[in-house]
Amino acid sequence: MADTLLKLSHLHKDFAVNRSLLQGHRKRFVSAVSDVSFTIERGQTMGLVGESGSGKSTIGRCIIRLINPTSGTIDFDGHDVASLKGRDLFNFRREAQIVFQDPQASLNPRMTIGEVVSEPLVIHRTGTKAERIAAVKGLLETVGLNPEHINRYPHEFSGGQRQRIGIARALALKPKLIVCDEPVSALDVSIQAQVLNLLDSLQAELGLTYLFIAHDLGVVQHISDTVAVMYLGTIVETAPVNLLYSAPRHPYTQSLLSAIPVPDPKVQRTRSRIILRGEVPSPIDPPSGCRFSTRCPVAQARCSQERPDLHEIEPGHFCACHFPSPTTP
Amino acid sequence: MDGKMTDREDGGMGGRAAETVKGAPAVRADGAPTDPADAAGTAGTADLLKVENLKMYFDTPDGLVKAVDGVSFTLNLGETLGVVGESGSGKSVTAMSIMGLVPMPPGKIHGGNVLFKGQSLITISEKDFQKIRGNNIAMIFQDPLSSLNPVYRVGKQVGEGLTIHKGYKKKQAFARAIELLDLVGIPNAAERARDYPHQFSGGMRQRAMIAMALACDPEILIADEPTTALDVTIQAQILELMQSLQKRTGSAIIMITHDLGVVADMADRILVMYAGRPVEYGTTDEIFYQPLHPYTWGLMRSIPKRTAGDKEPLTPIKGNPPSLINLPAGCAFSPRCPYAQPRCHEEGPVLVKLAGAHASACHFSDDPAFLENSPLHDDEDADTVAPGAVAGMAAPEGADTRRGHSDG
Repeated sequence: MADTLLKLSHLHKDFAVNRSLLQGHRKRFVSAVSDVSFTIERGQTMGLVGESGSGKSTIGRCIIRLINPTSGTIDFDGHDVASLKGRDLFNFRREAQIVFQDPQASLNPRMTIGEVVSEPLVIHRTGTKAERIAAVKGLLETVGLNPEHINRYPHEFSGGQRQRIGIARALALKPKLIVCDEPVSALDVSIQAQVLNLLDSLQAELGLTYLFIAHDLGVVQHISDTVAVMYLGTIVETAPVNLLYSAPRHPYTQSLLSAIPVPDPKVQRTRSRIILRGEVPSPIDPPSGCRFSTRCPVAQARCSQERPDLHEIEPGHFCACHFPSPTTP
Repeated sequence: MDGKMTDREDGGMGGRAAETVKGAPAVRADGAPTDPADAAGTAGTADLLKVENLKMYFDTPDGLVKAVDGVSFTLNLGETLGVVGESGSGKSVTAMSIMGLVPMPPGKIHGGNVLFKGQSLITISEKDFQKIRGNNIAMIFQDPLSSLNPVYRVGKQVGEGLTIHKGYKKKQAFARAIELLDLVGIPNAAERARDYPHQFSGGMRQRAMIAMALACDPEILIADEPTTALDVTIQAQILELMQSLQKRTGSAIIMITHDLGVVADMADRILVMYAGRPVEYGTTDEIFYQPLHPYTWGLMRSIPKRTAGDKEPLTPIKGNPPSLINLPAGCAFSPRCPYAQPRCHEEGPVLVKLAGAHASACHFSDDPAFLENSPLHDDEDADTVAPGAVAGMAAPEGADTRRGHSDG
């Protein structure tokens, strides 16, 4: 496809875990992300969902190179950014930015919001001081804050406003891609809707591309064009948003969708839930074969031996399962 | 009472147990359709718990915080009350006040009463309260890790209430704790009871908290955001567990949450709170299908709809929740309310019963023209609209909602 902005191929990320000294020097690894490949088209939003520990955030951080992938390639606008160093990496930071989950923790309490938002501009030596101040005021206005508040400190703002500050900072260098790592999960519903609308309108105005990481499937459905579902470091299913929600084929996606309570009592009473047994296994010692096989309601002998590839089961719909459900549930 | 129970029966469990998803055999926590809840429910006297105009204020250096300001509801055996609101709306303080867990000072009861089987929990001595707390009324907290003692074995903590309230010996209590852990679905309960909390995962800790709360067969279980810290698949397990245990024991549940999906699933009745005050109270169907208060409408509109195919903008509530120290004059919601009239900024509305027990704290909730503004929230599947809902209430677009209701 001509207009692919980001293409991940066989991305792996292992973290070393040090056991206590008495257990010797045998190094063990958490396989946080294992063989992940996907593409995001320019101007689109890819939603990445999964439970805690599924590797969503690790992927986001690898893409903007906050951490270095163990192996695999990250093709961004025609260049592999997985191995960038020095000046090239520095320049790449203009292209891809991140909005963090916790607006409280991701803003320096000792910096005014003007300093917070202008910091990327200062680091990248953009404009004169007067130009930067004008730019920051413009950015604050763009995200719906009062530009006169430029000299206030983060504690003077509410959670939703702080998240807007985080978004303004991410926008400062006019990036092409923004990784949104659970940007609304710390916010109340009414405020969450405000921030989602802001992200939507910014995308329309500035032609941004988003990787939207969240565990709330309702939010992801609202904002995404395509959705990838992760389980224990692997992508189990990816499809255009409507297809994924209306006709999930992977048993994990099906159970995940059925587990969310719907805010409609009549629908909720007639729904049946697929309750998964047990809990997510440790990524230090992931199950052999399909990583979901230990909890899968339809697992067979083959599943624990052979790892299923993510393959296209219908146009645009990829599923990593030996026995994808044939019909829509 | 009977009517409520039947509601619960056919709506709550029966319907959901009827079918499973094709191609994927479902594993259900609630198996057999047992109905002891009915027997227990009808045996109880009316008003197991009655909260009357409860006011809990905090004296802080910044001023008086009216954390809970006039909350009233009743709760009976076998019932589940959902308490919904955003952070700072007073949900948790209401629960803590009922449990007598608010430190006073800085907290101070400024009026109202909490009656448990007719006995006031406000005037009760601490010594007598200790006989009720954990025994008749138990609580599940949001964060199980900070609510469990890290230096005692889980089994000991789960059984502690039994030694205190029921006169169990230590060994008996530990044995019973193992049974309880098994009941809430902890594998290898006999071994895991000897573990410490840090050896449990988040979901297992929450199960242990539930086992602890259930140890003395409480009549009332207060669950304060019990699944907020958990992943959805684990949340589904815990909610299923609470429902099946309620069926078995017939206890009443107060479910505090900010997740409208969870209350749609669990609750018989819902109390919506805003800025420490109740804004709407009614059955689950009334709140979801005939909501009367603009704040409830705003909440419903703010939820991303799962059926929305195209990106249509959400309709958030403008502004931020007010500071509890400096509440706006008149209706606390008036600065954010798209329909606010001059009267709203001057005169605070009271919670008025409108239809049956369905109550709303809005000056205009009895005005049919005003209710035309309701989102009715199921424009896409109008056939599921509750019978009796006003027909033709189309969900207005964001722009329309700002216009107010001067025509009405």
